[in-house]
Amino acid sequence: MKKSLLWLLIVLLSVSMVATFSLAGCKEKTAEEEAVAEEEAAEAVPEGEQVTIKLTSWRTEDIERMNRINAVFMEENPDIIVDFQPIKDTEYDAQLTSSLETGVGADIIWLRSFDPGELIYNGGYISELNDVIPELADFPSAAINAWASDDGVIYGVPIAGVTHGVFYLGDIFEQYGLEEPATWAEFIDLCQTLKDNGETVFAQGTGDGWPLYEVIYSGLGANFYGGEASRQALMAGDMRLTDEPFVDAFKAVDELQQFFPSGYEAINYVAMQQMFGTRQAAMFIGGSWEIGIFRDAELDDLGWFAPPVENEGDTLQYCFHVDMGVGINKASKNYDAALRYLKWTSTPEFAQLFMENLPGFFSYTPNPTGEYILEDDVALDNLNAASGADLTVRTVWERMSRQEPSGNGMMEEALIKMYTDVLTPEEAAALVQDALNTWYEPFME
Amino acid sequence: MVGDRKKLMSSINKKKIRYFIPLFLASGIIIYTIFMVVPILNSMFLSFYTGEGMSTPTEFVGFRNYIRLFTQFPFKDRFINAFWNNVKFFLIVTLIQNVVGFFMAVLISRKFWGNKIFRRISFLPVTLSVLVVGFLFSLMLNPVWGIFDKILEFLRLGFLIRPWLGSTTTALPVIAIVISWQWMGEAILFYMAGIDGIDEEVLEAAKIDGAGPLAEIRYILFPSLLPVIGIVTILIFIGDFTQFDIIYAMATTRGNPTYSTDLFGSLFYRVTFQSAERGGWGMGMGAAVATIMFLIVFIGVIFWLYIFRMKGLKDKEGA
Repeated sequence: MKKSLLWLLIVLLSVSMVATFSLAGCKEKTAEEEAVAEEEAAEAVPEGEQVTIKLTSWRTEDIERMNRINAVFMEENPDIIVDFQPIKDTEYDAQLTSSLETGVGADIIWLRSFDPGELIYNGGYISELNDVIPELADFPSAAINAWASDDGVIYGVPIAGVTHGVFYLGDIFEQYGLEEPATWAEFIDLCQTLKDNGETVFAQGTGDGWPLYEVIYSGLGANFYGGEASRQALMAGDMRLTDEPFVDAFKAVDELQQFFPSGYEAINYVAMQQMFGTRQAAMFIGGSWEIGIFRDAELDDLGWFAPPVENEGDTLQYCFHVDMGVGINKASKNYDAALRYLKWTSTPEFAQLFMENLPGFFSYTPNPTGEYILEDDVALDNLNAASGADLTVRTVWERMSRQEPSGNGMMEEALIKMYTDVLTPEEAAALVQDALNTWYEPFME
Repeated sequence: MVGDRKKLMSSINKKKIRYFIPLFLASGIIIYTIFMVVPILNSMFLSFYTGEGMSTPTEFVGFRNYIRLFTQFPFKDRFINAFWNNVKFFLIVTLIQNVVGFFMAVLISRKFWGNKIFRRISFLPVTLSVLVVGFLFSLMLNPVWGIFDKILEFLRLGFLIRPWLGSTTTALPVIAIVISWQWMGEAILFYMAGIDGIDEEVLEAAKIDGAGPLAEIRYILFPSLLPVIGIVTILIFIGDFTQFDIIYAMATTRGNPTYSTDLFGSLFYRVTFQSAERGGWGMGMGAAVATIMFLIVFIGVIFWLYIFRMKGLKDKEGA
C-alpha cells in the first residue's frame, strides 16, 4: 500500500516536472513563432497607421525629461508613438539581457560605454549602424570608439558624455573671500580656510565606493597620473598602477580625507547629495549629471570649477566620460520606426533638445550649423573646461573591467580602504594592480 | 459471510480513500514542483555551464564553476567572506531573538493591564516591509542628521558615537540588530503560543509548591518551550542564510563597507544579475553560488532538526 502511494507521488512529481520543462520549451518556440508572425504583421501595416516603439534606459529619473524630448519627435513623426520605459540602474543590465533573450526587449536600447555595451552587441541582439547611419562617420572617434567593436563595427549612437569636477556654494566662497582654485595647492589652502572657519568643507563620504573611483580618483586624480596618455599606457601594459604617477594620484586624493565631514565612513551617495543640496557643506566633488539635481534643490549660488592641476600652467587632464549610447534591437517588431528614431538621435536637433532637458549631459553630435546653446551657466562651465584640455575617461573603465576581479570594483574597494585608513595609497594601488595581474593579459606578459 | 463482505467493502473503501490522498495532494505537489523543484534543479544544471557575461550559459564545463568558486581569487575570498558574515549574522540574530523574544513572551504572558495591546504592538514591525525598515534605520543612523547619534549626544554619551553603517566592525551587528527588532514579534508569537499551551494546573501547582518566577522559567517554561526554540532557530537559520532585502536596503548589493556585510543573498544577487564591471561573475557562477547556498541551508536545517529532535527525545526519556 505504502509502496503504491510512493509510486503515485513519484509519478505525479515526474509528470509535473516534465510538464514544466515541456511548457518552457513550448514557450520558447511559441515566442519565436510569434516574433515571426508579428514581424510579418508589422510589415503588412499600411502606411499612416500608428506604431509604438519602446525605449529603455537605466535612468528612471529622466522620465519627464525624455517624454518632453520624445514629444518633439512624435510631433514630427505622427505615425510613431514613443514609449520611454526605463529600468532601475542597478537592475538594468540583468533585465535588459533577460528581455532580449526572451524576445521581449525594447526597440531602442540605451547602451553603456565599452564592455557592457559590447556584451549586448556580441550577444547578437543589436544591429550594426555603419551603413544605416552614415552621419556617424563625422562623430569624434573617441566617442564612437566606446560603442564600436575592435573591428570597427559601430553598434551605438553616442548621445552623451559626462564630466567631473567640484561644485561649490557661491555664498560661502563670497563670505570668506575665496576664489576658484586653479592649482592643487590653492585647492588645499581653500579647504583649510573653510575648515579653520568651522565650515563643513565637503559633502563627501565613503558609504559608496563608486563616487570615490569614478569622480574623485578619475576626475581629480587624472591631473596627477597624466590623464589619457597614462591611461592608454596602462591599458597597453606599459605602465602599472603601482607606478609613481598613479600612486601620486592616490596620495593627492587621500589628502582630501582631512576635510571630509565627521562620520564620513557612513555617508553614502544619496546622503552626500542631500547634504550639499541642503547647504550643509561648502563643496561637493561630483559629476555634471548632478547639475539638474542641484538646480531642483534651488541652489541659486551653485558654482563649479574644473579639477585643479598639479602645477600652475599644466594642461587640464579632463575626465569627459563617454556615458550614454543608443542602439536598436535587431528583433524589433517595428524596426523601421525604431530606425527612424535612432537616426533622429544622431541629429543636432536631438542633441540640442537632450542638452536642454538634461543639463550636465553633453552631446557628441557635430553641429555644422553652429554652436549649441546651453542655458545653464554651470553646464556651460563644464563644457567650456574641455576646450584646451586633454580629454580622458575613467581610469580602468575600458577593457580592465571586463571580468572579475574588475578594475572598477577593485578601485572602489581600494579607495574605501584608503579613506578608512586600512590601506596606505601605495597599498591601495597595489591591491588593484595585483588583482588585475591575475587576468588582464597585458599585465601577465 | 456477511462479515467477510463488510470487511472486504471497508478495505476497498479505505483503499479508495487512500488513493484519493495523492490526488488531493496533486495540486500542491504540481505547484511546488513547478515553482520550487524545477527552478532549483534548473539552477543546478546551469551551474555546470559557462556563465561568462550576462548571456544564458550554453557550454558545458563540468565542475569548473565550483572549482573556481572554491579555489580562485576573488571568487573564493568573496564566498568565504559571505559565509562567515552569514554565520556571524545568524548567531547575533539567534541570540537576540531567542533570549529577548523568550523573556518578552514570558512578560507578556503575565496578567497585567494592557498586556493584550502589548501583544499586538509587539507584532507590528513584522508587518512592515524590510526595505522600509532598512531605509528608516539608515536615516536614523545617518551621522549627519540621524536621530540616534543626537540621542546619544543628549544623554552625554557622545563618546559612543561611531559611523554605525560605515565601519567594518559595527555595520554587520547593527544590521543584525535591525532585522532582529523587525522579526522579534514572530519569535514572541511562537513563544506565546508555547506558553499558552502549557497546562495552567502545572503552573499553579508549581506556585503552590513555592516556585518563584525564576524557578518557574527554569523548571517549567524553558523545558516546555524547547521545541519552540528549535522552530524559531530553524526559521532564523533559513531566513538569515537567504537574507537579501535588509542588506540591499542598508548596505547595497556590495555589502558595504568593503564587503563586510555581504551575505549569501547579496553575493548571489550581485554576482548573478549584475554586469562584470559592477561585480558580476556571470549566470553559471551565480548558479553555482545558489546551489551551494541551497545545500548549506538544506544540510543546516537537517542538522538543527536532528539536534532539537534528539534533545526532545532525551527529555522525554528523562521524564
